[in-house]
Amino acid sequence: MKVPAIVIAGTLLFAVAGASAQGVNDAQIASIVVTANQVDIDAGKLAQSTSANAEVKKFAERMITDHTGVNKSAVELVTKLKVTPEDNPTSQSLKSGGESNLAHLKTLKGAAFDKAYIDHEVTYHQQVLDAVDKTLIPNAKNEELKALLVKVRPAFVAHLEHAKMLQSSMGGSMGKK
Amino acid sequence: MPVNASSYRTAAVFAAGLTLLCWSMGPAAAADAPKAATLTVAIDGTTFQPAMLTVKAGDSVTWVNKDPFPHTVTSAAGGFDSREIAPGKSWKYTAAKKGEFTYVCIFHPTMSATLKVE
Repeated sequence: MKVPAIVIAGTLLFAVAGASAQGVNDAQIASIVVTANQVDIDAGKLAQSTSANAEVKKFAERMITDHTGVNKSAVELVTKLKVTPEDNPTSQSLKSGGESNLAHLKTLKGAAFDKAYIDHEVTYHQQVLDAVDKTLIPNAKNEELKALLVKVRPAFVAHLEHAKMLQSSMGGSMGKK
Repeated sequence: MPVNASSYRTAAVFAAGLTLLCWSMGPAAAADAPKAATLTVAIDGTTFQPAMLTVKAGDSVTWVNKDPFPHTVTSAAGGFDSREIAPGKSWKYTAAKKGEFTYVCIFHPTMSATLKVE
């Protein structure tokens, strides 16, 4: 069933558009960043334990390592700036979208799991990049917070490209690598 | 030719001056050998900067990881592999083999750059 990925993406897009219209402050940006990273860490952990595909497992491990590293930097910075992450509709939407994705993935295994995981990773990273470009960077007031967002943006692009490579390699074949 | 104190003095001053000149130019000048350099590549924003670096055989290259997650510097053709470079850490390589070598980060397939060793 392909509905979940589209629903999740649509929800995120709606939440991001809403956030853009209202504007988000630095505390809310911090919350969005930390939540966005955590959602991908959680999906990566599930993929690591569920997938039997070596390339998918390697990708999942990379998601866990990279997003954990970015979160560490983000938390260090906001702690230094004495900014407390503030929950908001966008971060809540990310969190519930992440939970829906996990629930759906848990009903799958084998190649079907791998495809659903990777398909979602492509959609998810694209939406996070859109949020970074359209909402987070433009609205960030603190220069160091903005600089961190600019610095980590290419990592998300690299993740998206990597996920797309996996997606196309899985497109025709259902076999394990 | 008559030898006297003043010609000894002249010779001594000349010798001292020449020694001072050689000393101030350093062993490289005396030996006529170019010094090996150490150059730096930054790993930042999931890219290698600069993307193309040219060095001389015998030079060293230090890759510095400025990202908040690990990277590698890996070249099959060049025969070098840093293995994992943690955030904030560096890896130094002395370029002995001549050629133009593509290298990648094995964790991030979009990352590649070139080291040219002349």
